[in-house]
Amino acid sequence: MIEVHNLYKTYTTYTRGSSFKETLRSLFERETVLVPAVKGLTFKVEPGEIVGFLGPNGAGKSTTLKMLTGVLHPTSGDVRILGCTPWKQRKRYVRNIGAVFGQKSQLLWDIPPLDAFYMNKAIYAIEDAEFEETLHRLSRLLEVEEIMRKPTRQLSLGERMKCEFIMAMLHRPSVVFLDEPTIGLDVIAKEKIRSFIQEMNEQGVTFILTTHDLEDIEQLARRVIVINDGEIVFDDSIMALRNFLGAKKKVRIVTEQPADWYGIEGVTVLKLHSAKDAELELDTDCLPLKRFIQLMNERCTLQDMTIDALPIEQVIKELYGHKERIEKVSVLTE
Amino acid sequence: MKSLLACYRAVIKTKLAERMAYRTDFAISVLLMLLGDFMIPLVTLLVYRSGASFPGWTLQEALLIQAVFTLAKGVAFPFFFGIVSTTLYHVREGSFDVFLLKPRPILFLTMMNAFDLDDFGRLISGGVLFGLALSGVPAPSALHWIQFAVLFLCSLLVLFAFSLFLSGLLFKWVGSSRVYDMFDSMSMFGMYPGTIFSKVFQQLFTYVIPIAMIGFLPASALLGKGADGAWLSMGMSIVFCGAGLMFWHGMLRNYTSAGG
Repeated sequence: MIEVHNLYKTYTTYTRGSSFKETLRSLFERETVLVPAVKGLTFKVEPGEIVGFLGPNGAGKSTTLKMLTGVLHPTSGDVRILGCTPWKQRKRYVRNIGAVFGQKSQLLWDIPPLDAFYMNKAIYAIEDAEFEETLHRLSRLLEVEEIMRKPTRQLSLGERMKCEFIMAMLHRPSVVFLDEPTIGLDVIAKEKIRSFIQEMNEQGVTFILTTHDLEDIEQLARRVIVINDGEIVFDDSIMALRNFLGAKKKVRIVTEQPADWYGIEGVTVLKLHSAKDAELELDTDCLPLKRFIQLMNERCTLQDMTIDALPIEQVIKELYGHKERIEKVSVLTE
Repeated sequence: MKSLLACYRAVIKTKLAERMAYRTDFAISVLLMLLGDFMIPLVTLLVYRSGASFPGWTLQEALLIQAVFTLAKGVAFPFFFGIVSTTLYHVREGSFDVFLLKPRPILFLTMMNAFDLDDFGRLISGGVLFGLALSGVPAPSALHWIQFAVLFLCSLLVLFAFSLFLSGLLFKWVGSSRVYDMFDSMSMFGMYPGTIFSKVFQQLFTYVIPIAMIGFLPASALLGKGADGAWLSMGMSIVFCGAGLMFWHGMLRNYTSAGG
């Protein structure tokens, strides 16, 4: 369904210094800088998959997605999606895809989303009956039947995002690209969006989503492509990523008595705020959460604790560490 | 075609609803535009009142040229000239992506989104000025009306070409709002009788960049003063428009979106 081969994108930008002299000089002469945003991506996606693109800011996720949607022309490489090259057969291609860009709205700020839906109906030439049926189904699923009649500017971020999804899916696309669809949303809105994606996927829609929220990937994707600095550093199932990373969590812990974190198996200190306040990495495979809490209570009495998934930067670090270890081993065996 | 019209109607309806959210601002905008456009012939009126004139042209004839110029802009601005501001805004913000995701010709989508209700003020002022100027000259014959209609269509083609060139530049010169000044300084040559300029300028504005087509040539036809080279200039207007279309689509490839 999606075949990407050796995809490159290089942007041309200009740099200048920040001093007055350099600013003045930049009026006449600027230094051209070539920025390789995507460096030779190759991968395939089968129909009905949910593939998560994971990576830190500036990794090349959004650029890749823009090339896959036909918005940007690549510097080189091939992409075949639904039998089309996105930037060459744009009109035919975009009729069958949907896109939600978390930071670029398709809704119109001053009028209700419902008006924008009707505008999309005309743009996609959707039949009346099909439109009504889809709108009814999607709005019920996302619970926006009432709010879609209010002006967009009066809606919360979560409500707007739900309406963005309807906007992107009214024409019943078979592939949907999501660029950070849960960015800035609260837990409840995130859950609603995620369950909507799962439901649509069960109906056969293929999803490609970019995110730097590991939870999005864990809950939605069966396959994850980790991209960093324009290159794929990991492409496998979410299970493989979990096995690789172990069951690691980021824990912020505040205790009543000063604690000594060193020497506890499965615990790595990330940052020590004070003797009673620390950020830790907990490997729950080595030290289960229940045992960890028990241990902490016994040693220094827990006062407060928050548990998060590992931040993406940490995941990338782990992946690179792993890659380097493999390279060292192969050099030694040679 | 039917689908395109339905699409156009739906988008215009949405734009109308969007603009009606701020009715006072809309009313003030239209009023200011009307007042601004009524100032255009004031300079001509002052020139003639002071005893000076454009050689070979009466006050009413000069006013008619300026009225046709304002009318042409009055049609162009609400319906298609807004592609310049639409491109300026959406390319800078990176939200031009949204147009590229729709299964319609991109230029058509840009034009629809550029539909500007405020600019109907220009159409009204153009219509009023045209009616007033026309009442001061002898009634044109049917043939002159036909010639005028054809040349007026060409004037719209020239304005369309200008909008394409300016909008196209904005894919490369992101955020250059001065393109409007470029247009104003060039197009003003169409507002005066072509014969007041030197021969070189006359030929430049008739055959190379057909600015004379915007006001002067259609008005001359209506006055029965068919200017030299009007038909050749008509051909040039079509070529100019074609070049504008090619330029715009070529420049579209320079679109780089914005950081995500």
